[in-house]
Amino acid sequence: MSPEERRPPAQPAIAAPPEGSVADLFKAALPDVEMTAVQGALDVLLLVDGKDAHKVLETAKHNPSLAFDFLRNLSGVDYEAEGFEVVYHLYSYKHRHNVTVRAKLPREDPRIQSATDIWRAADWHERECRDMFGIVFEGHPNLVPILLPEDMLDHYPLRKDNPLAPLEEWQGEALGPEMGRAGHIPPGSGFDVEPSAEGE
Amino acid sequence: MAIDPETQVEREFETQDLFVNIGPQHPATHGVFRMVIEVDGEVVRDVVPHIGYMHRGGEKLSEHMDYRQAIGYQDRTEYLSQFNAELCYVLAVEKLAGLAPPERAEYIRIILTELNRVSSHFMFLGAFGTDLGVFGTSFTYAFREREHILDLFEEVSGDRLMYAYFRPGGVAWDVPRDFKERVEWVCKQALIGADDMDKLLTDNEIFIARTRNIGKLSIEDAIDYGVTGPMLRASGMKFDLRRDEPYSIYDRFDFDIPVGTNGDCYDRYLVRLAEIRESIRIVRQAVAQMPDEGPILPERMPRMLRPAAGEVYMRCEDPRGEYGLYIVSKGATQPYRCRIRSPSFCNLSALKHMTVGHFVADAVTILGATDIVLCSVDR
Repeated sequence: MSPEERRPPAQPAIAAPPEGSVADLFKAALPDVEMTAVQGALDVLLLVDGKDAHKVLETAKHNPSLAFDFLRNLSGVDYEAEGFEVVYHLYSYKHRHNVTVRAKLPREDPRIQSATDIWRAADWHERECRDMFGIVFEGHPNLVPILLPEDMLDHYPLRKDNPLAPLEEWQGEALGPEMGRAGHIPPGSGFDVEPSAEGE
Repeated sequence: MAIDPETQVEREFETQDLFVNIGPQHPATHGVFRMVIEVDGEVVRDVVPHIGYMHRGGEKLSEHMDYRQAIGYQDRTEYLSQFNAELCYVLAVEKLAGLAPPERAEYIRIILTELNRVSSHFMFLGAFGTDLGVFGTSFTYAFREREHILDLFEEVSGDRLMYAYFRPGGVAWDVPRDFKERVEWVCKQALIGADDMDKLLTDNEIFIARTRNIGKLSIEDAIDYGVTGPMLRASGMKFDLRRDEPYSIYDRFDFDIPVGTNGDCYDRYLVRLAEIRESIRIVRQAVAQMPDEGPILPERMPRMLRPAAGEVYMRCEDPRGEYGLYIVSKGATQPYRCRIRSPSFCNLSALKHMTVGHFVADAVTILGATDIVLCSVDR
């Protein structure tokens, strides 16, 4: 096969999943829940509201035609003005099919019901998601920081309004004179700190 | 063996539970990992793992780098199976950008990835023996073969550990002229090493006594905890992403999936030992099929990668389990979100479930058989 033939076709931004995909099974199992199905690069994406997420996930696990017994991955995404999303990647060892459930949350006070009662795998993932985005998982048995320090409860590194430290800060400009002259910053470069009182 | 804590304690004596802190600087924790164990005599009642000592914010940093710069972070995340992590990353970017690598590059990648799996499993065999008290012997045997593989990687990529050799669309530069002969020699040595480890550990009475029926995990629990890879296969689940969701060119090779029956530490060891031999089988087939000449990157490569808006969750079979990358693109030169689903993180979350009820000394065995990479746990 030549490389041209094996090249995957360019994807349109939004495409409906094909007939008979896992999205149809979800719609049959949950007729009263509003969800949008999109065909992603590998899996079918289901866009749902944060309030319905737990119901959708519970059905995904326990409905015999879906039987998603494996929570592959749980991650948060910060879409700035559009709010947060908690993304669940699910897999079924029984039917060997995939689905991605994207639960939409508001920007202010993002809360979602915990999935720890569905998969125990969700425990550490949700703690990490709280660390990084400040999303509160209601009903989680032990929602304490996992990767971040235990007292870091109001600082969410992966939020988009939390920029990486600027280079100058790392090089020592922000240390201030009391911390001493930082590193090997050449004087007069605009990055050096206040001249010391002794004069140099 | 699993012991019910209730039956072991003599009721008439007043006893007190003791907290034992292992780590963060402890040779048995394979890195900077701390667990607080609550013991009743010798029996473990509770385990509280503390992770995050090596959290470097790799996901945040990846969002501020263009797609090719972030390849290096994959090496530093999975520092024992770097090519596996790099492969997952470049495949994810290729899926987003619509790139297809040339044949020769695909084979180079698969050969290196599978040899990396072998070297990673050798690392496990050596370290696991040391955890159990085979002090030094298993380590030196395993490292003899690992060194041959690292030498080959150095010849190819220029570095012993942080390769950054794969690129979206192919590999960075061509392999040395004697690549095939070198790979064949390394394969031969690796099989000798696997046989040596087999003779050293598999029938060793002490080794069996320390690992049989220790840290048992049923299939249902393993799936529920998100345990993947050799640990899941040791529990008896015949599942391998290379076979069940083939990516790259894995559908062209003939190989078996070793599975265990008990789901204990001994089976985890056996599965990994068998996987070394299966990986060598794949490498040999790939060497035979690999074209001698040909490009290693697509002819028309954009100078800056700017994938269209979209998202992909790419997953690959890492030596430790499912290595997943969830990349969201908004059409910029940097990923909007790059989430790493690390197999060590998920496998480690089942530690408490496996350890409670065993002796303290077995906690080290169980942690060793989980085969975690702390850089990958903390990211």
